[in-house]
Amino acid sequence: MPVLLVVSVLVFLMSHLTPGDPATIMLGENASAADVARLRHELGLDRPLAVQYGRYLAGVLRGDLGRSIRSGRPVALEIWDRFPPTLQLTLGAMAIAAASGVLLGALAAAGRSGAADTIVMSTSLVGISMPSFWLGLLLILLFGLMLRWFPIAGGDDWRALVLPAVTLGAQAAAVIARLTRASLLDVLPSEFVRTARAKGLAAVRVLFRHALRNALIPVVTVMGLQFGALLGGAVIVESVFARSGLGRFAVAAVQSRDFPVIQGIVLFAAAVYALVNLSVDVAYLALDPRITYDR
Amino acid sequence: MRRNFALCITLLVAAAGWGTVLYAQESRVGGTWTIVSTEEPDTLDPQKTGAAVAAAIFQFVGEPLLAHDFSNRVVPGLADSWTISSDGLVWTFKLKAGAVFHNGTPITAQAVKASIERAIAPETKSPVAKAQLGPVKAVDAVDARTLRLTLSEPFAPLINNLGDPRLSPIDVRAAESAGSGFGRAPVSDGPYVVKEWVSGHHVTLARNPAFTWGPPYMHHGPAYIDQIIYRFIPDSATQVAAFESGEVSQLGLPPHDVARLQATKKYQIFRFLRKGVGEFLEFNVTKEPFSDIRLRRAMNYAINKDVLVKVVLEGLGEPAYGPLPPSIWGYWPGIVDYAPHYDPAKAKQLFAEAGFTPGPDGTLQKAGRPLAFTLYTTPADTGVRTAQLVQANLRGFGVRMDIQTYEFGTILEKFKKGDQQAGFMGYTYNEPDIMYIWFDSANIGSGLNFSHYADPKLDALIDAARHATNLTKRAAIYVDLQKYVVDKALWVPLWTNYNYIALQPWIKDAKIHPDGYVFLGDAYLTKR
Repeated sequence: MPVLLVVSVLVFLMSHLTPGDPATIMLGENASAADVARLRHELGLDRPLAVQYGRYLAGVLRGDLGRSIRSGRPVALEIWDRFPPTLQLTLGAMAIAAASGVLLGALAAAGRSGAADTIVMSTSLVGISMPSFWLGLLLILLFGLMLRWFPIAGGDDWRALVLPAVTLGAQAAAVIARLTRASLLDVLPSEFVRTARAKGLAAVRVLFRHALRNALIPVVTVMGLQFGALLGGAVIVESVFARSGLGRFAVAAVQSRDFPVIQGIVLFAAAVYALVNLSVDVAYLALDPRITYDR
Repeated sequence: MRRNFALCITLLVAAAGWGTVLYAQESRVGGTWTIVSTEEPDTLDPQKTGAAVAAAIFQFVGEPLLAHDFSNRVVPGLADSWTISSDGLVWTFKLKAGAVFHNGTPITAQAVKASIERAIAPETKSPVAKAQLGPVKAVDAVDARTLRLTLSEPFAPLINNLGDPRLSPIDVRAAESAGSGFGRAPVSDGPYVVKEWVSGHHVTLARNPAFTWGPPYMHHGPAYIDQIIYRFIPDSATQVAAFESGEVSQLGLPPHDVARLQATKKYQIFRFLRKGVGEFLEFNVTKEPFSDIRLRRAMNYAINKDVLVKVVLEGLGEPAYGPLPPSIWGYWPGIVDYAPHYDPAKAKQLFAEAGFTPGPDGTLQKAGRPLAFTLYTTPADTGVRTAQLVQANLRGFGVRMDIQTYEFGTILEKFKKGDQQAGFMGYTYNEPDIMYIWFDSANIGSGLNFSHYADPKLDALIDAARHATNLTKRAAIYVDLQKYVVDKALWVPLWTNYNYIALQPWIKDAKIHPDGYVFLGDAYLTKR
C-alpha cells in the first residue's frame, strides 16, 4: 500500500513537471486565452500543487483517472477495455514459463551433468539472450506460415494466444529453468530427501514432489518479479502479433503525449504488480509450512 | 392466339433470364474480406478526420453526390443529375429517389443540406472536408429532392471534390444525439455500415442490403461481400506473413516483399504510382534556421534522392522534385529539370553563401552557433528509414539533424502550432488543389500549411488556379505555381512510391480504380 502511494505521487509529479500545459493541449491552437484560463480553472490547474494532488488522489480512490486527451473517453474505461488481452497474454506466458521452466530445470538437476543438463543449460542461455522481437517473427514464419499450426494475426480463441505467449514466456522460462535446477541441486543432497528414499518411496516422481516443494521457494519469488518483466515485454510482443492490449496502448499514449492515460497505466501497472507479489507471499504459505506471518 | 403465345414465351424467357441474373447475384453474396492497415483512423466522422485511412474506409461507408468512373469522368453518385450555371456560381443537384441513411432515415435535400452545413461550420473544425467545399456560401433545399449550392466565386476543384468519400452526406441528427460517439459509429449512406470498432485491433463493416443508389459503373443493387474488416497490424513482417497464410485478404505490399510475392504467381497484384508525394521534408519558415531561404535552397542541393528511392523503396518508386507527382492532373513534367538536383559542390557553395563555415568539429556554424535542427516524423517504417539516411547524408556536409518521432495525430497538432523546425510529411490526394491545402496562408494554424508560409503573391496564384474553369488556363497556372513553390524552397520533395496491392486469389471482379484504390462494389468471393 505505501508503495502505491509513493508511485501515485511520482506519477502525479511526472505529468505536472514536464513541459506543456494540459489545458492548451486539450483546447488546441485556436483557443483564446480566456478559454484556456477557464479550462485551467475547471481542471483545477490554478490551485497549489498539494491541493491538486489531493484532488487527484481522491479521484483515483473513486476510480476516476481522468479523460484521455486523444479520445476524450475516461482513462479508466480505456485501460479496462484493453487490459483483458494483455492479462491473457501475460498469464499464458507465465503459465508456459513456469511449467516448462520448472520441468526443464528439474530434468537438468536429475540428469546431473548428463546430456539433459547440458541441453537444458544451453537452450536456456539462448532463451535468455534471444530478443523477443526476433523470436516472435521466427515463430510466425515457422509455425504460422510454414506449418500453419497457429494463426498469425489471429482472433479470440486460445490458438491465437500460443505463439505470443511462447514468445513472451521464453526468456522467463529460461531464467526459471536455471534457478530451479540450481535450487534443486541444493536440496537434493539434504537429509530429508535421503530419508524419503530410504523409506522406499517408490517413484522418482514422489521424490520430486518432496524435494521440489522445498526447492521452489526462491523460484516462486523470482516468478513474481518476472511478472513485472512480462508486463513490460508485452509491449513488443503485442506489436509483433498485432494484438490490441495495454502494452501497445501505453506506447501509443507516450507517442501522443496523452498524460492522463500514461499516468493511469503506470498507476494501474504498479497496482497489478503489487497484487502479484502479494500473491507470491501467500503462495509461500502453501509451499513451506514453516513460514508463518505474524499479524 | 399466336401473338399471345409469342408474348408468353417472351415473358417466360425474360423472367428466366432475370431470375438467373438475380440468382447469380444472390448466390454471390457472402464472405468476409480482410484489408490490412498500418494505421488506425483518428475518427470515422468523415468531416472531422484528417487521416487517409479514414477516407479509405469511407469509400465503403459513404456514397457522395458524385463519383468518378474508370476513365476519370464525373458520373452520378447520390445525385442523379446536375447543372452548373454559366458563371459557375450556382450548382443544382437532383437526388436519386429512395436513398436512405444507414438508420433508415430518407435522404432528402434538407438532410444533405444539413450535412454540408455541418462540414462548413467553424465548430466542426473540419481539416479537409471544409477545404474541399471551398467558397460554397449557401446551401438550399429547393424541394425534397433538389439541392442547390451557391458559391461566392467559381471553384474549379469542386466538381472533383464532390466525389470524395469525406463529402458523403451524414445524418446530422444522429451525429448530434451520438455526440463524440458518432466518430466511432458514423451514420452515412454507403454500401457498408460500420458495425464495430475495436480500438487497436480492427474495424468491421457490414453490408448494407438496402443500397441501390450506387454509381453507374457498379451493378444495380447492394454489394456482394458480406463483411469487410480493416485489420490494424503495425509490423510489416507480420502483415506479409498474415497475408501469405491466408488470414488477411488484401495488403499494401512493403517494397521488400514485392518481387517475392510476384514470383509466386499466386496473387493478383495491382500497381500504381501513388497519387501524392510520398515523402517530403517541409521547413518551418518562421523558425531558425530555416527562415533563411538560402539555407533552404542549400538543403535542396544537399540531399541525394536517388539513394532514398534505392534503399528505402528498393527501387519501387521515383524521386520527387516538386509539390505534385506525375499521377495527379496538373503536374508539369518540366519540374524535373527546373528543380534542384543532388549537387554536393553547389550545396557547399550555397551553405557558404548563407554564412555557414565549418567549425572545429566539422559541423557548419554561423556566428558561433552550430547548424543543428530536429526533424519530426511519424514512426512509420519508410519515414524513419528515410530520416536516418538523410541524417547521414547531411552529416557529410556538416549539418547535424536529430530525429524525433511522434504518433500521427500528435505530429499534426505540433505542425499546426509550428513547434517544429522541419518535419517529414506525405500525402495522397486527387486534385492539384492540394496546393491550396499545403500553401495557402488561410491554412496556417488550423489547416495543413505546416511551413507557416504566408505570401500574398502565392495566395493570388492559388486563387487564380481555383477559379480557372478552362482546363488549359488552369494547367498553365499550375505550372507557375509549381515553379514558384520550388523557387521559395519551402520543401525538399523526396520520393513518390509505387503502391502495390496484393489480393488473395479467391476474389473475382475486384478492380483497380484510377483514384488509387481497389473497387470492391462488384467483387464477390469464390471461397466463403
